[in-house]
Amino acid sequence: MSSETNDSTATVLRDNAEVAEVLGRQYSAGFITQIETTGLPPGLNEETIRQLSAIKHEPEWMTEWRLSAYRHWLTMEEPKWAHLKLEPQDYQKISYYSAPKKKPKSLDEVDPAILDTYDKLGVPLHERAALAGVAVDAVFDSVSVVTTFRKQLADAGVLFCSMSSAIRDYPELVQKYLGSVVPPGDNFYAALNSAVFSDGSFVFIPKGVRCPMELSTYFRINAQNTGQFERTLIVAEAGSHVSYLEGCTAPKRDENQLHAAVVELVALEKAEIKYSTVQNWYPGDENGKGGVYNIVTKRGECRGDDSKITWTQVETGSAITWKYPSVILRGDRSVGEFHSVAVTHHYQQADTGTKMVHIGKDTKSKIISKGISAGKSNNSYRGLVEVKKSAAGARNYTSCDSLLIGKKCGAHTFPYMEVKNPTAVVEHEATTSKISDDQMFYCRSRGIREEDAVSMIVDGFCKQVFRELPMEFAVEAKKLMEVSLQGAIG
Amino acid sequence: MSSAATRSPFVESQLAAPASPLPGAGVPWLDAARREHLAAFAEAGLPTKHVEAWKYTALRALAQRKFSTGDAQAAARAIDASAFALPGVDGPVLAFVNGVFRADLSQLAQLPDGLELRPMSQALREDPEPLRFTLSRYEPEKGDVFVRLNAALAGDGVLLKVVAGAKVAAPVHLLFIGAPAEGDVAWHLRHVIELGEGSELSLVEHHAASGDQRHLGTTCTDIVLREGAVLHHAAFQDAAPGAALIRRTKLHLGARSHATVHVVELGAALARHDLQAELVGNEARFDTRGVFLLHAKQHGDTQLAIRQQALNTTTDSVWRGVADERARGVFRGAVLVEPGADGSDCNVQNKNLLLSEQAEIDTKPELVIYADEVKAVHGATVGQLDERALFYLQSRGIPQAQARGVLTAAFCRTVLDDLPNAELRAYLGDRLVAQLPA
Amino acid sequence: MLKIENLHARVAGKEILKGLTLAVNAGEVHAIMGPNGAGKSTLGNVLAGRPGYEVTAGSVEFNGVNILELPPEERAAAGVFLALQYPVEIPGVNNTYFLRTALNAQRKARGENELDSMAFLKTVREKLKIMQISDDLLKRAVNEGFSGGEKKRNEIFQMALLEPKLAILDETDSGLDIDALKQVSQGVNALRSPERSFLVITHYQRLLDYITPDFVHVLADGKIVESGDRTLALKLEEHGYAWVKEHEAGVVGEPA
Repeated sequence: MSSETNDSTATVLRDNAEVAEVLGRQYSAGFITQIETTGLPPGLNEETIRQLSAIKHEPEWMTEWRLSAYRHWLTMEEPKWAHLKLEPQDYQKISYYSAPKKKPKSLDEVDPAILDTYDKLGVPLHERAALAGVAVDAVFDSVSVVTTFRKQLADAGVLFCSMSSAIRDYPELVQKYLGSVVPPGDNFYAALNSAVFSDGSFVFIPKGVRCPMELSTYFRINAQNTGQFERTLIVAEAGSHVSYLEGCTAPKRDENQLHAAVVELVALEKAEIKYSTVQNWYPGDENGKGGVYNIVTKRGECRGDDSKITWTQVETGSAITWKYPSVILRGDRSVGEFHSVAVTHHYQQADTGTKMVHIGKDTKSKIISKGISAGKSNNSYRGLVEVKKSAAGARNYTSCDSLLIGKKCGAHTFPYMEVKNPTAVVEHEATTSKISDDQMFYCRSRGIREEDAVSMIVDGFCKQVFRELPMEFAVEAKKLMEVSLQGAIG
Repeated sequence: MSSAATRSPFVESQLAAPASPLPGAGVPWLDAARREHLAAFAEAGLPTKHVEAWKYTALRALAQRKFSTGDAQAAARAIDASAFALPGVDGPVLAFVNGVFRADLSQLAQLPDGLELRPMSQALREDPEPLRFTLSRYEPEKGDVFVRLNAALAGDGVLLKVVAGAKVAAPVHLLFIGAPAEGDVAWHLRHVIELGEGSELSLVEHHAASGDQRHLGTTCTDIVLREGAVLHHAAFQDAAPGAALIRRTKLHLGARSHATVHVVELGAALARHDLQAELVGNEARFDTRGVFLLHAKQHGDTQLAIRQQALNTTTDSVWRGVADERARGVFRGAVLVEPGADGSDCNVQNKNLLLSEQAEIDTKPELVIYADEVKAVHGATVGQLDERALFYLQSRGIPQAQARGVLTAAFCRTVLDDLPNAELRAYLGDRLVAQLPA
Repeated sequence: MLKIENLHARVAGKEILKGLTLAVNAGEVHAIMGPNGAGKSTLGNVLAGRPGYEVTAGSVEFNGVNILELPPEERAAAGVFLALQYPVEIPGVNNTYFLRTALNAQRKARGENELDSMAFLKTVREKLKIMQISDDLLKRAVNEGFSGGEKKRNEIFQMALLEPKLAILDETDSGLDIDALKQVSQGVNALRSPERSFLVITHYQRLLDYITPDFVHVLADGKIVESGDRTLALKLEEHGYAWVKEHEAGVVGEPA
């Protein structure tokens, strides 16, 4: 019933040198899993949304929430301001729901083909084989297939489950926080997501709890012509702490697949949320055919005083990346950080960055962005630092560096700084250059091959950001970058 | 976009017949071009903040105002020319009052060898044909409706040419005076400046007021530097506190040419300056130094846009902004390095001081890079004075308020450091200091 | 071992080396001295294969191989090492990682086994001892934030680890105080062996007080104009480079 069409080696999340060595120097997560699925036919209207909501046994309020978002979406237009060439999407050609037919009640009931998929991706779901100290929510197309370590987490008071379960099991929490950071009408894609989101992760860390393990979601798009619209909500109550990781892959397909997610983070007083992403959606081939459109609204709110939200992202995949993980610094002395590495090659396009909105007093933000462009790709940093009148003593430091590899790529920087408080200090600095000839010669004069010298220098260039990632992810990120830049020179 | 029914009072007021016939009226190609531009302006209307170039400069208030199309009495208004002399600027003078050339206030006798200088109005009346290409063509850019308006209604301006190889030593003073009139006047000036191969010119662009008024002025300046030409351009904007001044300066730099532009913005209620440079020749160099110092409810918006299109070009831009009271300062410093423009070197540095709770600074340095043999750097800050420097001065016995004054003055003056005209540099520095809060 | 014949080279279109001939046998230490602009650093960079240095005539044979055809990494694997006058900073790249990558790349190119991390660290510790370098240097990024002396010592340390057959030291003494100079020289002396040759490029005689050369050559205007034993260096010290120029031009005879 299940077979793999491609036997390339899976990428690993672990620091496993042996596996890393054999890592294919190509997009290795591009295989397709053959399983029976059930889903909605392509198309979008109020009826689709009612059906989707019904399949998921959602309460009435949720259905209404979706419908009102949908009605608002109908009045909106796709934004055009990004430095991207984006073909208009036909939203009637996308299927808004695809799920494995068999609905597992426990891990033992999960289709072996799916378990095998995650094994290959280096994310074993069996707890005995699972990554030490990492709980995983595995999202396959539109639904969460399994969440590991639920019990251990529940013992600590941590709620970690799929968004679908949360809507059923913790409706009061979902109602209180869903859409409170990214309102349904925030932007075109957020509105669409609010109307049709299928699943995602829900995390709730109660007051004073330090989450005993890393939480992670692994997103996999498998089905054809299916959009993935996941919705993640993380709430950290006063004094709590959580570190959350997110990984993404998709099969190689000639069509563009749409991934329009919304992630909302809420940090209450003295709470801390670290959110790390290693994004490796299928980037399309070297001629720009296929690939995922990764269009994501990620926003965190430091709602309480002394809270902190850190976004770290390594973006190597996707044909198009459009995301600006942001922090609303509402609480006094709250801190927002954004650390980003974005690599583009061939015909990939990335327009990514962040928004730091300073509202509370003595709020601080830091932005470190590293862009690497190769081939015929375009890579843009777009950021906003906004200091409201109320944000006395606000501080921001931004550093954006871009590396160009080759003559046909582009590297762009669009920082916006809006300052309305005279006690604020906002600093931005940026550089764009190619890898220095001197560095290349130095490495080569020590015997290092040109291509290895490039990846070494690029890795050094990104070090500041990789340091922010949990160890396993840092290793993964480095490998992905090497794969992504394969053939970039010469 | 806007039909007769939805046109703003401002747009409507500009569609009225000019107060006095425009120079060159009756020349068929010019009439046609002016009509076309006016129609395009009426069609487009004023940009909203959704147009990226006008994101931080709202024109809602302007849209509600009406301006008469030109000042019929401009030629007769009594002006004391001596009030507008600038130290160190003793060359030819070309003066305009409310957008109209004034021979009586100008100094055009005995022009230096190699310098051709005359008002556009004179050329349009005597022999418009050579201007046909320049005044007919239009390269549309988003949000450039003021360029349309200017093209439709400008009847005067500066025609300046330096012949190849000529080195004009004495600085040329271009003086634009706003004078009180019977109502609010809109005037438009179009300047065409060309520096021949290997020539040199020093130019002072001076916007001043002979009394309080709330006029709107637009200027469009095209400056071409042929191979190896050298230009020193100092722009001193000291318009009336109520005035609105919208300028576009566009430079076209040929091979090995070098333009240095110093800008000091002190006046006007609304001062918008689009400063654009295209480096089309290899090894061209473009340096800008600028400062705006805003108080009351002033709104200053400088949009620097540089395109490096040839090999081994260099640009260096240092800008300062100070906003006090309820003022708002906007700066955009964009550099585009085009494909193949290897060896490009660019640097944009913008620092700003916010002095009041009610003031605002918006800054946006931008890099768009399509070549890999480049060195591109930009930096921007918004903040306060360096606390260490402040402490250092205080530790040497200087009272805090005075120390702040000294440091703020130094912060602004730094953009004048490499202005070669020492007398002018000292004068502009003093004017900056005089406008600082006590 | 190294045979340079009638070498002509240009940098940015300007001819710098104008017919340089030099032979170095295994185990020999040759000092190349000369005034600023004579082409000393150009020689080092040409031998290491730095891009931008264009050879227009002549040949360079290293152990029978024409190395001018080889990219820099293959010259390194063949045993050529250049200690740079201005070592390059590579931010974010750990020094140990850099060295291990370099060493293993060279070993691999030579068909030798790559060292695992244990074996590598063992070698590193030995060499550190010889060079009297603290292992703190290894934890930092390559040359990033190093003082001038640290950079030069790091170069010699790299040489110790990579064990080249021919080491070219390009003004390794410049910018060093007397203590650092002694340390660097000790490191070099510890590496002298019958199989290893050195080309010591320097402006000043003082380095040769610590590293005794077998031969001294004077390079002026892109050519070797004078060769001798180490007393030549002392003569230069005494009379200055002006003497070389005059001597070369035949204006004056050799001073008594």
